[in-house]
Amino acid sequence: MPAVAETFSLGAPVEIGRIEKELKKLWAQGEAAAMTRASLINLAVYSDEPGSLGKNTQLMSQLTEDHACRAIVIEADSTAKENIAEAWISAHCHVSRAGSRQICSEQLSFRLGGPCTTLLPSIVFSHLDSDLPFYLWWQTELPKKIDPHLWSWVDHLIYDSQTWPDYAGQMQLVETAKKEADQRIVLCDINWTRLDKIRAAVAQFFDHPGAHHHFQTIDDVKIAHAPGFHSTAVLLAGWLAAQLKWTEGRRDKSSLQFSGGGKRQIMVQLQESAGEPISEISLRSGSTEFAVKHSAGADLLVVTRHDNGDKRMDQRMPAGKNDPVALLSDQLMRGGVHAVYLRVIEQVRGLI
Amino acid sequence: MTEQIQSNPLREGLSSRAVPQPCSIVIFGATGDLTHRKLIPALYNLAADGELPPAVAVVGVARRDKSDEVVRKELEEAVRKFSRQNVRDDIWKTFAQSLFYHRTEFHDLKGYESLAERLKQLDKERGTRGNRLFYLAVAPEQFDDIVANLKAVGLNHAEEGCWARVIVEKPFGTDLASARALNRIVSASFSEEQTYRIDHFLGKETAQNIMVLRFANAIFEPLWNTRYIDHVQITAGETLGVEGRAGYYDKAGALRDMVQNHLLQLLCLIAMEPPTDLDADSIRDEKLKVVRSLRQLAGDMVTKNVVRGQYSAGAINGKPVVGYREEQNVNPQSTIETYVALRMHMDDWRWADVPVYMRVGKRLPKSATEISVHFKKAPPVLFNKEAVTIDQNVLVVRIQPDEGISLRMQAKIPGTSLRIEPVKMDFHYGTSFGKPSPEAYERLLLDAMSGDATLFARRDEVEQAWAFIDPIEEEWQAQKEKGLCFYAAGSWGPDEADELLTRDGRAWRRL
Repeated sequence: MPAVAETFSLGAPVEIGRIEKELKKLWAQGEAAAMTRASLINLAVYSDEPGSLGKNTQLMSQLTEDHACRAIVIEADSTAKENIAEAWISAHCHVSRAGSRQICSEQLSFRLGGPCTTLLPSIVFSHLDSDLPFYLWWQTELPKKIDPHLWSWVDHLIYDSQTWPDYAGQMQLVETAKKEADQRIVLCDINWTRLDKIRAAVAQFFDHPGAHHHFQTIDDVKIAHAPGFHSTAVLLAGWLAAQLKWTEGRRDKSSLQFSGGGKRQIMVQLQESAGEPISEISLRSGSTEFAVKHSAGADLLVVTRHDNGDKRMDQRMPAGKNDPVALLSDQLMRGGVHAVYLRVIEQVRGLI
Repeated sequence: MTEQIQSNPLREGLSSRAVPQPCSIVIFGATGDLTHRKLIPALYNLAADGELPPAVAVVGVARRDKSDEVVRKELEEAVRKFSRQNVRDDIWKTFAQSLFYHRTEFHDLKGYESLAERLKQLDKERGTRGNRLFYLAVAPEQFDDIVANLKAVGLNHAEEGCWARVIVEKPFGTDLASARALNRIVSASFSEEQTYRIDHFLGKETAQNIMVLRFANAIFEPLWNTRYIDHVQITAGETLGVEGRAGYYDKAGALRDMVQNHLLQLLCLIAMEPPTDLDADSIRDEKLKVVRSLRQLAGDMVTKNVVRGQYSAGAINGKPVVGYREEQNVNPQSTIETYVALRMHMDDWRWADVPVYMRVGKRLPKSATEISVHFKKAPPVLFNKEAVTIDQNVLVVRIQPDEGISLRMQAKIPGTSLRIEPVKMDFHYGTSFGKPSPEAYERLLLDAMSGDATLFARRDEVEQAWAFIDPIEEEWQAQKEKGLCFYAAGSWGPDEADELLTRDGRAWRRL
């Protein structure tokens, strides 16, 4: 086996045209060493950040413990004057849960520079594991010009809207990609995945029909978010608005307002506070307050309900980790088209 | 799920399953093995995974005099020993606050009156909202007292907008008459809709995957009939002997312990027609039809189609083990079967002339449960002429361990000559998905809390299964020791079980 990724090595350098042949050789050696190749998806990671190849190789090593895939890691530098097209192959191996054998995912790494970065679709297409879904994780900003052929192959487009300096502009490009793929692409925003556990903690307050009347009387929401996570907080507010049918979203400096129908106005205050991306959300309905807190570094949420100032519940629920491996892993565990997210995008358009 | 989304719009997209409701879970038999090994660890794991609603109270009921604190300590030890994930102190601390103990004799009405009071109090303190889930983790002889007393104090009915349910652990009787008697006892206090008969095999991931395999893939169902399938085998082997269960096992035997419930349930999933929807009763209606279609085995038919065996001394994994009759607490003249093999037929359109061979046994060389579907051979032309032996295609669903699915097919061996050998396409859950499956009890407890009875056995299913089993037992009773075959521990069962297939020109799949 040329390279096992615990070293985070890119593995063996190969000519791009010989990748499949070299992979065969790699697995022929692996069979002798009781290694099993596994793959459920094609997962391509694209970045134009220098040094991203090493960083993403490390990430793939962790991710493949739970998600067997063919990983395609690409670092591109379109500003380079010279053509650069280098490739490596390696494998990430982990002992299976049964403990009897090593389960391996293969990684193909590419460094592209100069004019040949425009060849991205052809490089990706020719190295997909056939019949498996194709997830493309675009780690940096989407450029205005992308070969539309790429979108015809992508099944799931992963991005993190929290990193976008121009949310509206980037979202427009994402929606264009979706349109070019006849709406077939599933949009997977890691910024949205970041909210999964918080949303589950908020939702559970209202599972019992006896709590449903609060939907009509919630009028005050407070969300505390870390610096740089304003968009995350707005998505959270947008989720409440989309699901509870609040309309006419408006924003001012540190708050959002929605109409709850009739004269009811809902004020959503957004407060910047160091710590977790979303460190607290509270919803007030009359004299009842529903609160979810996430202390810095904690992996549990504290879930509390107060009635007239009396604490009714104080429970712990799992908090998500704000690290790319955990977030991507959560994202890959989910299926479906994320219909709620698409609704939320409509709600927050113009609010971020 | 649809109902849940309609009622709580914030749940949409967060979970693809029904969400469990706040409730009090009352476990009768709180100091017993099942509670310590399975139930409390399952509830802890659900809490740790954020699946358990915060407003849950678990009330253990038993006869011994203990405080909440003592019971919490005991349960903590049990969870640390038996939980599938490591116990975290902070999660345990919160979870432990939801554990309570209530002492009563099961026949003492006063104990139930005070239980009712306590549950009301917990509704106020813990927000459990008047919902009650009673778990009968006790011997069936105690069901009568418990459900009658629950009824006497009104706990069998919930207040308006709330629910009361009862989970009944197997064995659901020892024959049709006792199963009916048990069902009568339970149904005198709880309606069928309130009753959840647990069969933990149905909570296993691969068992649930059988329906997905059959009905979410287009390629299998057209072949799933007498035209293409030669026969089906279901095997449940274990290396263990009777361990600490001799008292129970020496009365029950393999047929009652495994075939009547677990294996017939697996057969139902493999053989059922597609249900009209995924509603619990739609699925259970189809499963019932399978059991009803089983050709009855009675009298001579039992001798011809059923083999019962008992292990004698032998070796498991190189270690010598004693025979069944030498096991502790086992009658030295016991004629109880530790192994049973059956040849069965379903008299329906789809499965006419497709035999199902089922075998279950203790002290076999391997612990493994699987279903194998053996397809008919390709026509005897081209590659399949008389001189060449070509194996059948076999689709295997492995239930435990190493859950997965494999398909055996034929392939040409590379070379200039034409040589054909079987190869296997193999899917392993453990290889493809890093995340371990939840324990069966976790899934089933959640389902009961959310009112989904799909994976629980219905009264008519259970009684129909006994109606199939009873004549076999009766014939064995009449035969006494005659017909009981012996097999060495560590072997794959008695020779007579092999002959059951050999005379049909078939053989047991090698595991």
